[in-house]
Amino acid sequence: MMKSAFAKRESRSGYIFAGPAALFMFALVIYPMAYGIFISTQKTNLIDEWEFVGAKYYLQLISDSAFYDTLTTTTLFAAAVVIGNMVLGLLLAVIVNQKIPMVNFFKVVLMLPWLFPEVVVGLIWKWIFSPLFGLLNHLLFTFNLIETETDVLGRETTAFIGVVFVCIWKGYPIVMLMMMAGMKNIPQERYEAAAIDGANKWQQFRHITLPGLKPIILVAIILETAWWFKHFTIIWLMTSGGPAGSTETVSLEIYLQAFTNFNFGRAAAESVIILVILMVASLIYARVLRDESE
Amino acid sequence: MRGCYVMNQNKQKLGVMSNKKTSQFVTRFASYSVLVLMTALIFIPILWMISTALKSEEDIWDTPIEIIPSEPTLYNFKNLWSTHPFLQYLENSLIVVCSATLISVCISTFAGYGISRFNFRGRSTYMAFLLATQLFPSIMLLIPYYKIFMTVGLIDNISALIITYVSFTIPLCTWMMRGYFAGISKDLDQAAAIDDAGRIKVFTSVILPIAWPGVAATAIYAFIAGWNEYLFALSFINTDTRKTVSLGIGQLIGEYNILWGELMAGALYALVPMVIIFIFFNRYMVSGLSAGAVKE
Repeated sequence: MMKSAFAKRESRSGYIFAGPAALFMFALVIYPMAYGIFISTQKTNLIDEWEFVGAKYYLQLISDSAFYDTLTTTTLFAAAVVIGNMVLGLLLAVIVNQKIPMVNFFKVVLMLPWLFPEVVVGLIWKWIFSPLFGLLNHLLFTFNLIETETDVLGRETTAFIGVVFVCIWKGYPIVMLMMMAGMKNIPQERYEAAAIDGANKWQQFRHITLPGLKPIILVAIILETAWWFKHFTIIWLMTSGGPAGSTETVSLEIYLQAFTNFNFGRAAAESVIILVILMVASLIYARVLRDESE
Repeated sequence: MRGCYVMNQNKQKLGVMSNKKTSQFVTRFASYSVLVLMTALIFIPILWMISTALKSEEDIWDTPIEIIPSEPTLYNFKNLWSTHPFLQYLENSLIVVCSATLISVCISTFAGYGISRFNFRGRSTYMAFLLATQLFPSIMLLIPYYKIFMTVGLIDNISALIITYVSFTIPLCTWMMRGYFAGISKDLDQAAAIDDAGRIKVFTSVILPIAWPGVAATAIYAFIAGWNEYLFALSFINTDTRKTVSLGIGQLIGEYNILWGELMAGALYALVPMVIIFIFFNRYMVSGLSAGAVKE
């Protein structure tokens, strides 16, 4: 009796505190998403034209090679940025976790790109990469590495590499911060014991740091994949998806489909597909990393 | 024989010692090389941005390029104010981002506390949902939101942005606050709480005052997320005087003739709030992140 009354009270308090947020989430996320799925079955201009077309856009998309190209570009882009961020973030976290002189200064410096709004990052690098009087061309000229101006963002391969580079420049600090936070939870005694046993830095990293960080690495990879898979701003400002679609990721495709072609149904269907892809990807990640730790 | 053995052992020890020294030296050398390289990669773009902003339009096109402007001028900073309603951008951004931050931090603080303290039905589903929202492509909400705002007449209105930003900051903020509350001992509130009214009172008078650093960290994240947002502003706002700073400077690049000096000056303006936040709240940012990210 007593216990169930207590549980009831517990439950009610929980609803009182968490209720408002749940209502907001329902109104602002769940309802619009359901509405988005509805729109994906309509041929519509969102104003007065509403025609039910069923799965037409989905069928169109799965047989559209251009859409596959966009998905491939997005996957390559996201994979490159996530791998770059994870490797660089982890490496830098390990480095600044040592007790060496000036390390606090470097910690602050390394966090700076995270503070930069994406718009600012996109603009600065577009200017640096500019074929006319941009800094990169200037430096390449100075060191005699090129003879004529190179338009980094004007050629397919270099544009892709350039955009990935800039996104890593912007994105690694958050991974670094997460890894630094995770390392705080690894007991120092383990390292001391390992050092007495004669383990070198690499062995300590391999057998203590990495296993200790596993849970947070999993979270970081899932979040990073989701973030970069749907990234828009930096790519939009630097290349707008060009040249020749070499940097056109799904977010740009959806935006253009909706606000340039006014093909809202198709754009909504594309976003539903992306959601499914991201869900499946994170399930796979979780499975793989869990199996490995067993 | 015996002496020989001792000597041998000593030699071995010495060998180990010097090996250790060398490997320590190598590790340090490698560490600092990486740090210096990264510092250069971070500072060069920043200095280039400042240098460009301080040059007149003619000096930008001078060859050879001057890294340090010979005749620095504040012309770009002033001119941006007269050619674009920049003060208005700033005001819009502050209204949108501060309102959204306030709303989502209030709601998330309550929710984070509720999740960390009470066992209610649907709790784990709710938590899973909050994490899953991170996977939702924000762009998936773009079209439904556009239609909904069109119906209620909020297109080209900054209120639409407040609502949008609240929608994507609540999950992250709730998650962070939950982590923070989980780190505060339950003994504090459990002893005092009897009924709902008591619980709310305990929350506001006992727990909240201790949780300030966590609230501050969460607010900073919400602020940064809002300040950086571009896509929704781009899609919902058309009128120049209703643009946010992000949108305003982002669209300078679409203009026929890109004025890099003004653009870089605009970029520097957009950085000001971030720098202020960083100087004053640096401590909270890292501690808040570790609380939110690590605690199960």
